[in-house]
Amino acid sequence: MRSRRFPATALVVRRAAALTLRAATFVVCAATTLRAQDTEPDRLARLDQNSRITIQILLDSAEAAGLPARALRSIALEGVSKKADSRAIVSAVRQEFTLLRTARATLGPVDPEELTAAAALLRAGAKPAQLASFRVRQKGRSDLQAFTIWADLITRGVPSEDASSAITKLWEDGADDATFVSLWNNVQSDILRGLNPGTALQNRIRETPGRPPATKGPPEGQQENERSE
Amino acid sequence: MNEPKVAILSLTVALLVPAPRGLAAQIVSKFEAGQYSVSDGVLPASTIRLAPTFQFEMPHARISARGSAFLSDQQLQIADGIVSGTFTSPTVYGVRAEMIGNASRAVDERSLGTDQVDVQTRVHVLFRQNGGVWLGGGVARPWRIAVVSSADVTDAGAWAKVGEPTATFGVATLTTTFTNFSFSKIASVHDTSSASLSCSTAAPMVAVSSEMRALLSESTGVSACERQSHFSDLEAALRWEVGALELSAQMGHRFGDSYDVTPDSRRWTSATATIWLTDRVAIIGGGGRQPALPLRGLPARSFGMAGLEIAYSPISKTAVPVSLPHAVLVRNFETRPAANGMQKIIIRVGGVEAVDVMGDFSDWSPLTLTRRGRDLWELALPLSPGMHQINVRVDGGPWMPPPGMPTMRDAFNGEVGLLVVNRDRGSH
Repeated sequence: MRSRRFPATALVVRRAAALTLRAATFVVCAATTLRAQDTEPDRLARLDQNSRITIQILLDSAEAAGLPARALRSIALEGVSKKADSRAIVSAVRQEFTLLRTARATLGPVDPEELTAAAALLRAGAKPAQLASFRVRQKGRSDLQAFTIWADLITRGVPSEDASSAITKLWEDGADDATFVSLWNNVQSDILRGLNPGTALQNRIRETPGRPPATKGPPEGQQENERSE
Repeated sequence: MNEPKVAILSLTVALLVPAPRGLAAQIVSKFEAGQYSVSDGVLPASTIRLAPTFQFEMPHARISARGSAFLSDQQLQIADGIVSGTFTSPTVYGVRAEMIGNASRAVDERSLGTDQVDVQTRVHVLFRQNGGVWLGGGVARPWRIAVVSSADVTDAGAWAKVGEPTATFGVATLTTTFTNFSFSKIASVHDTSSASLSCSTAAPMVAVSSEMRALLSESTGVSACERQSHFSDLEAALRWEVGALELSAQMGHRFGDSYDVTPDSRRWTSATATIWLTDRVAIIGGGGRQPALPLRGLPARSFGMAGLEIAYSPISKTAVPVSLPHAVLVRNFETRPAANGMQKIIIRVGGVEAVDVMGDFSDWSPLTLTRRGRDLWELALPLSPGMHQINVRVDGGPWMPPPGMPTMRDAFNGEVGLLVVNRDRGSH
């Protein structure tokens, strides 16, 4: 027999190789099974039954109230993807529902994407009353960029009041998207250089001129988003 | 020599053709050409070497083909070719399985050339993307080798990312590998120089192929039998990538008795430097010593090389077999309007094997970007107008907000990037 001539070390090596092969096969099988479970079509099915029911009630309530239910579902799916526990996901969906309702009460009947952005801003730390200035705007003017920069400033540690007054001032002065982005770039670089976030914003807002709206003359089709509730 | 010329030319042209953009998997290719010199061994002392490479990547599989040819004395001759397949399981609790198969042929001027098929499996344990250890085993079956009939290979290794990756320091990876080769060796019955030699006049003759026996008998004038041999390689490798410069160095030591390990293969050292002039063109230079590869019938050799690499979508030089360390240096993130109302996400990050994004636009399911250059990754998405939340990750690492864009806390103690797409489809 050929194996009789193998030294003991060679046999150990062969057994180790065989063992490794079996272990690898086991891991492949286990991982494939788990992977298959990962690709279930409805990822919300991973939640426990009570959580699923609660989320479904919130989705139905949002639709009944004319709020974008898709935003609520997105929050739930985000929680699933980020492996949050069921209670945290339900809590986040419930909070999002409240924020959407608050945003609409403040801004009026705006587009779903605008409402979702406003809700994100409220989640970042803005106060509902601070959104009031955005209730009135020129037709075709978008507040998405302003909301985005505002949310980021709060996240970076700028006091909510300071961020609110700076963004509101620029908005009322008719600043365009590029102005908001420029302000953000400047503040960010100052913060990275070690400046206090609030101070950085104060310094930069002084040197950021508000630009007139792109359309000249009296704002045509200025729309009032006032909503009777 | 017409056939090799036509084959190499065809392969080269095919590799430089851009891959279809809609392809789910990625096709990457590169073409190396340069001067290659050896002081000993089977290659001519100085050659022009051409080395086209082709690679097809999927999330859990990679198939690659590589060949090389050298031009010497106005003759273009194929030097070697290899087709490899690597399959990795999903990572579960930091553990994954890897299976690697290779089929290769090495050709030289002095022998008929050798063929080899080898299969290896590994269990790889990853430590938070900063390091890992693996243990594996497999078999190799060479053909047309005068002295080896088969081999069992056991290997173990560890790798670690050295230091914190920064824009100045870059990414360095240190790898240590221990590989044990245990193989059946065809030997002369009169060769008794090794204590472990099991071939003696008393030992039964084994089924050595008649070709091999004839070859051995012709050279030594004696009959042949089979004995068991083994040697082990311990190798340390360092790979350092900073900016446009990539450095790699290896040094190793071979353990084994003198019958199996020749003195010129006891120790080896080599180093290579690559300087990327653009995303797709690089200068390569290096040299050192390579140990003998008894399983392939190749002797030890010293070499020096200098060349140019042209890549359509360059293949990363994997410091660690199968797995790369995770670089968190996403250098740049931007979006641009693309055709058909789509938005193209463009990310620049080097030294990684996979880049994913997810956000509300994908219902928070990961989407894999396609590599378009050495450190360029792209993905076209139908982003609707509005504020989108987005995360990015490299090599299955943690989800992070993309750099250079506004961010906010998400609802789950993480952070997301905020991407605005206006109604005119411009994005900020």
